[in-house]
Amino acid sequence: MSIYSTGKNMISLFYALAKAAQVYDIRNDVVIGAAKKFGHILRTLLNIYPQIELVRYREYVFFNKQRLRFEIDGYASLQFVHDKMKRLRLRSIIFLPGINEEELILLCLALTKKRDEFPSEFNARRLAYVTVEYADTEESAPDFLEDGQRVKRTYFKALKVTKNLMNNLWKNQAVDVKSSKRVVYGLVNALSQDEFGLLALTAIKNFDEYTYNHSLNVGILALAVGQRIGFGKKDLARIGTAGILHDIGKVSIPKDLIYKPTRLSEPEWEIIKRHSEYGVKQIIKTRGLDETGMISLIVAYQHHWNYNYSGYPRHDKNLLQSMFAKIVRICDSYDAMTTARVYQPLPYIPSIAIRVIWRLAGECFDPVLVKVFVQLLGIYPVGSCLEMNDGFIGLVLRQNEGHPAQPTIKILATKQKDVIDGPVIDLSVESDRRVVRAVYPQPYGINPAEHIV
Amino acid sequence: MPKNVQEIMHQLTKAIKSIQLYGINHPSAQQVYQPLFEALTGFLKNYGQIELDINQYSISSDSQVVYQEREKDVSIAFRLFRDGVRNIKIVEEMEFDEMMLFLEVISQTAREQDIALNLWECNFSHIDFYVIEEEDEDLSYELPVEETKDIDFQGKLAAIIAREKLDMTETIDPALSEAEMQSLKTQMAHESDEAGRSVAISTLINFLQHDKSPEIIDSLKEILAQCIDQHEFHNARLIATSLERYAKVNAIDRYEQENTILDFKNFINTIADEAYNQFLAFIALFTKKSLPYFIRLMPSIQRSERLERFRDQVAYIAQNDYHPVLGFLQSGSVDLIINTVAVLSRLSAEGVIGHLEGLAVHPRVEVRCSLINAYRAFGQPARIAGFLDDDEAVVRIKSLQSIALIVYPPVYYRLIARIKSRAFSALDMTEQKAIFTCLIANGGPGLIKILEKMLFRRMLFGRKRYRVVRRLAAWALEEINSDEARTVLEQGLKKRNADIRQACETRLKQ
Repeated sequence: MSIYSTGKNMISLFYALAKAAQVYDIRNDVVIGAAKKFGHILRTLLNIYPQIELVRYREYVFFNKQRLRFEIDGYASLQFVHDKMKRLRLRSIIFLPGINEEELILLCLALTKKRDEFPSEFNARRLAYVTVEYADTEESAPDFLEDGQRVKRTYFKALKVTKNLMNNLWKNQAVDVKSSKRVVYGLVNALSQDEFGLLALTAIKNFDEYTYNHSLNVGILALAVGQRIGFGKKDLARIGTAGILHDIGKVSIPKDLIYKPTRLSEPEWEIIKRHSEYGVKQIIKTRGLDETGMISLIVAYQHHWNYNYSGYPRHDKNLLQSMFAKIVRICDSYDAMTTARVYQPLPYIPSIAIRVIWRLAGECFDPVLVKVFVQLLGIYPVGSCLEMNDGFIGLVLRQNEGHPAQPTIKILATKQKDVIDGPVIDLSVESDRRVVRAVYPQPYGINPAEHIV
Repeated sequence: MPKNVQEIMHQLTKAIKSIQLYGINHPSAQQVYQPLFEALTGFLKNYGQIELDINQYSISSDSQVVYQEREKDVSIAFRLFRDGVRNIKIVEEMEFDEMMLFLEVISQTAREQDIALNLWECNFSHIDFYVIEEEDEDLSYELPVEETKDIDFQGKLAAIIAREKLDMTETIDPALSEAEMQSLKTQMAHESDEAGRSVAISTLINFLQHDKSPEIIDSLKEILAQCIDQHEFHNARLIATSLERYAKVNAIDRYEQENTILDFKNFINTIADEAYNQFLAFIALFTKKSLPYFIRLMPSIQRSERLERFRDQVAYIAQNDYHPVLGFLQSGSVDLIINTVAVLSRLSAEGVIGHLEGLAVHPRVEVRCSLINAYRAFGQPARIAGFLDDDEAVVRIKSLQSIALIVYPPVYYRLIARIKSRAFSALDMTEQKAIFTCLIANGGPGLIKILEKMLFRRMLFGRKRYRVVRRLAAWALEEINSDEARTVLEQGLKKRNADIRQACETRLKQ
């Protein structure tokens, strides 16, 4: 079993014990049984590793330096451990050789305490084989974490390659397939390192470079959904590629029509709609028909199909919509809604786009995948501006797993439009602050991109 | 330690060469895998891991060169280096399948293959590798500036909410229920490569109906090749028929080649029954051009029921023109003749029998037996009866069994004469029984009387020899199982002759 699976397994046993200790008396068989299982896996692991260290940093939990990702499988247990550590301001929990069931039960009892009670409770237990470290500040990253700039470099490199790819196609020039493949590889790696950092970058919306930005953003969003639902590397590479290439058919449509500033006539709209079909041909031409190419082809063709079989190109009900296309359908709609374009100078704010997608679940979008999408982005996605109940305006910096309506924000203005450099606030912890509503950032002089990059 | 690594690298190179020469599944290549695996796992058991640093033309371990090859087309180091792989680490507990996957990837020599990407896609558990990132050029990016136009943002927001009919008070809870998680897993399980290919095929066929451009046609042809390669014959058939129907393109033509068809032997015995059914449906699209190759493929089919169905399908292809197979009737190979006869026997075309007649005197028993089968299929008992006097018992028995099945009353008296002849007792028991079986099948109303006579016949001499006839007569009466036949057997119980009593008793007990 890989270190990743081992870590996930250990977390689920930790969760089972903590839950049992919350509900039952510590002498109950359920608690003892759960402690035995947790103790057994820890002792087995301690035969291999000198110690077992669980570290939390922002939305990430690391098991002996290996990041454990939030996936639908094992979501509840990882979210529980993460939430507990965050609420108790724990940077790490370390299990040492010699650990026994009794100490594990006592640790779990201590974890039921409130933040200010925990340190004294933990110290009073005098545990010999479990130690904890407290986080000084929320922002202090563990030393083994990779350079945070790498994710940004990957993003901008991907943007450049996407731009080159589409420009070359537009000009009918040869494309560098190897680079575009490698870009996806880089994105998948970046995603496994820092999924929230990469996702945050999709909040950058560039009006002038809509086509490239949009293609890349859809690729990243689709990758993140794929990772959340447990896709393996191969499928991640496929959905990432398919996401980036979903609109590739647009290079077969005259640029002046794509960028037409006025409303499209019915015949013009019909031409635009053909990009799904042109996409098939472009992918055949540029990407070939290996497994990834085939998925890309399907997605290009089906990404405007609706869950209720409507949408274009017209198709009969016997034709299955691929799961990859269903994911891209959601990501494409979300990114398109939240980006300014010639015919949509004022985009939807992200939380409105989330509500539109939520409303159309079961009609346009696969309802289960919509839930996964909202779970991932939150109800107020990164880049959203929120008016708070205390009269301040905050920008969403990141999501809090398990708290989709309570992200972490940075206060940047007052309701009266005074620009300030306020604190970073975790709304999942600070219960007295509430979101009143989402607002456009422009009136408050906030440029989300500045705070994300 | 590097010496051991050098030895492992030597075996690894050997394995890669074999794969490149013969393909990964070839027995010659397979011989080298196990020793390599044993060497690797033995090393890992002692040292925990093996770490290889990749240079342009060499590979080192512990700073010592363990592999060197400057010939770019051959060098493993060069291929890895070219694609950015700089370090490979293999750790303990590496499994055999993992090693095979690793070998498969690093054996690829095609320029368009990206080894780093392919290694990465394998998602190894016990093989780690490091790939350098291309140090890039300028990646500076100008951040977009949000314009603060003179817009009524509040009003616009309200308009969007109204247009989209959003209820802003609605609580959004994205938590997934157990059932939803399950449905997600089910959906994911269906997204296999094959399913992906099926959707791609449906998509392209949908497309083909209104766009017959060369890209679409060529893509479908390319996927057709993949389907054949992956033994997805349902999809292969779908593509071939669609290309024919919508674009008047014959996509099968390129597969009607000797080598291609004879290569079917590699999977024909091993694919699952469902896939075999799809395969048969697929080859129904082939033309008479392929018939000789199909006939030559038949001896490779090991399971008789598969062979029979294959012959059916080949006969289907041959129904309009069977001439391409006739040459095999003169073949020196018994297998080929038998298969050809079996195929021809499935055709109702006039004139086929004429081509087969010559085989009646073929020296090989198997051929004459196959001819009897063919005559049976054609409903030609008189021709089968011609084999009743064959020199070989096997052929005679075959003809008796066939006549028993299709019924040919003219043989009735011939059979009785044979039973009554002195030679009968010298026949093998199987043949004796076959004669009686044939007699029952072809017997007229007087048969029971004849059997009765055989059963009750007084014998002064040769009693022992006659005992067989008596028993077979009793057996035949039991087989007939009419009131009259049973009465005869019951009468036999009262006879003084112990042989008669015993024969009747045995049959009545059955």
